[in-house]
Amino acid sequence: MNERLGKIVLRIEGVSKVYGEGPTRLEALRPTTFNAVAGEVVAILGPSGSGKSTLLTIAGLINPPTAGSLEVNGKLAIKDGRQVTNLATLRRQELGYVFQRSNLIPFLNGEENVRLALEIDGVSTRESRQRARVLLESLGMGSRMQAMPAKLSGGEQQRIAIARAMIHQPSVVLADEPTAALDSSRGRQVMELFRDSAHKHGAAVLVVTHDHRTLDLVDRVLEMEDGNLNETQPIADHK
Amino acid sequence: MMDLAIRDIRQGLGRFTLTATGLGMLMSVVLAMTGIYNGMVVDATVLPDVYDGDLWVVQKDTQGPFAESSRVPALLVDRIRAVPGVQRTRAYMTLNVQQQLPDGETLRFTLAGLSWPDDLGNKLPLEQGRALRQPHYEMVVDHALGLPLGATLKLGRDEYTVVGITSGMVSSGGDPLVFASVSDVLRIQNDLANEALRLEREARVSRVRRSPYGRDPTNLARAGTPGSLPATAPPPVTAVLVDLAPGYDKETVRASLNQWSDISVYTIDEERELLVRGVIDRARRQIGLFRALLVVISAIVMGLIVYTMTVDKMLSLSLLKLLGAKRRVILRLILEESLLLGLFAYLVALLIGELGFDLFPRRVLVQNMDRVALLGVIVGISVASGLVGLRKALSANPNEVLAS
Ligand SMILES: Nc1ncnc2c1ncn2[C@@H]1O[C@H](COP(=O)(O)OP(=O)(O)O)[C@@H](O)[C@H]1O
Ligand SMILES: [Mg+2]
Repeated sequence: MNERLGKIVLRIEGVSKVYGEGPTRLEALRPTTFNAVAGEVVAILGPSGSGKSTLLTIAGLINPPTAGSLEVNGKLAIKDGRQVTNLATLRRQELGYVFQRSNLIPFLNGEENVRLALEIDGVSTRESRQRARVLLESLGMGSRMQAMPAKLSGGEQQRIAIARAMIHQPSVVLADEPTAALDSSRGRQVMELFRDSAHKHGAAVLVVTHDHRTLDLVDRVLEMEDGNLNETQPIADHK
Repeated sequence: MMDLAIRDIRQGLGRFTLTATGLGMLMSVVLAMTGIYNGMVVDATVLPDVYDGDLWVVQKDTQGPFAESSRVPALLVDRIRAVPGVQRTRAYMTLNVQQQLPDGETLRFTLAGLSWPDDLGNKLPLEQGRALRQPHYEMVVDHALGLPLGATLKLGRDEYTVVGITSGMVSSGGDPLVFASVSDVLRIQNDLANEALRLEREARVSRVRRSPYGRDPTNLARAGTPGSLPATAPPPVTAVLVDLAPGYDKETVRASLNQWSDISVYTIDEERELLVRGVIDRARRQIGLFRALLVVISAIVMGLIVYTMTVDKMLSLSLLKLLGAKRRVILRLILEESLLLGLFAYLVALLIGELGFDLFPRRVLVQNMDRVALLGVIVGISVASGLVGLRKALSANPNEVLAS
């Protein structure tokens, strides 16, 4: 379906993060190595404060790691803790983001929020509008896409956010507790969307979640504890 | 790329409109100040412009009617006419009059004399009626005085009829001008002076009558006696205007006039200079200072507004950065909003000027050049404010999105 499927699109090698210095020094992420493959959904579990968000923001190129190297879709972004390319360009072209809330620009309606991800990379208004409509309709938001974010329910907002994270066909989508503000059935719908989109668009989706009931929808589960990342048993055994 | 600034403004349209209107009002004061200054310059030079004599002959060692008082003998008009190169001479004479109307209102105006029969006021900007046709009892008044055509006004002992109405004719003090023949003006001056003397005498008599002195009739009689007799020589005028014969040069004629020991001679341009530089210079500096202050205040207010608008948008700006938006996108959002705010304020200022400046009691003259200059100032302020906002905007951290 997508030529990227099965390819390694996120490489993290020996990445670590230390916040602060001296007595306030905190190693939030111990040296970590892992890869993600296009088309898979990876769940990240772990108690609060274990470093999940730190890992996600480093992978998302919005938080510089203290050490290690990072590659997105074959493009080296960080080598030995140093930025080696324009991260904004990589974010614009290769990455998509969904957070718990505050995902949307409040003065743009649903469709415009989605189009924005294309237009900041130079896609024409006509094409971006067309693509945003098709995607939003496929997400069941066809009738609500003209509404302003403040007029949308939490679930609707998250669907718009997912559309925005997917519209430019990024190779990696990072989602930090995207279902935390939703009830369990809507949370499950959102996870289903991630699974379908990952396959359809050939993206690796890293999603932090606390909801064990949706783990049947993901391909791999990683657990974090005190800054250590551990791969747990395959999902079939997990149930 | 969709226009983010327009969409942000649309989202908070009420607030934007209010803010821009407020700024616009501030700007309209800047514009009014400019207009008031221009108006002062025009008003100040109305008299020399309307009389337009090539040379102004005034009392020795004075600078002329617009700087200080000057008195020259009325006969000078005939003496100068005999000088070679002089084609025409006119007496120049003004008188400030304050007149109580029967309905209790006070009319204040400046009476200016026209040299009958050389000057009937044909050059006055008439709105209605005509110039003078008779040497006496006719006057041409300015529109601002509020008297209609055909109205009469008792000045001194005689009644004068309004035969013409001008527009925009005011003295450098802003009072409406009333034109009558020089001989009428002199007569009115004399009558009003006598009237003032009589009133003072009456007041003195009644003061004495009320005091213990008043019981002695000799004292009463003495109080009622005028101090001095009115002069019988022809009363002096303020200046003599000289129009040159064709082919004669100002400096040559001025040189021959300067040989006379009792006068000083100025060109009309020097008189205008004197007015603009001398008489209204302080007002000009005052207004200039006030205007500069307002521009600075506007700049500070606008900088604060744009800064606040940026702070209110920090989450959106962080999101834009997170999505990898180029600096250019953020720059455009902030600067465009700032410029739109400024332009909207500018339009409000123009509108206020258009609707409101006519209601000012004195002339407010806004020229296109002033409008362009204000636009320049506003664009400058907007860009500066935009840069203040931009500094803040570029500090937006994509990480902040998660923290919120
Ligand atoms: N910007 C920061 N400065 C200092 N410490 C931080 C910062 N961000 C996170 N931390 C600390 O790092 C640890 C991991 O945080 P985080 O990655 O947010 O964990 P999680 O998302 O799993 O709850 C926590 O102890 C947190 O307090
Ligand atoms: Mg977290």
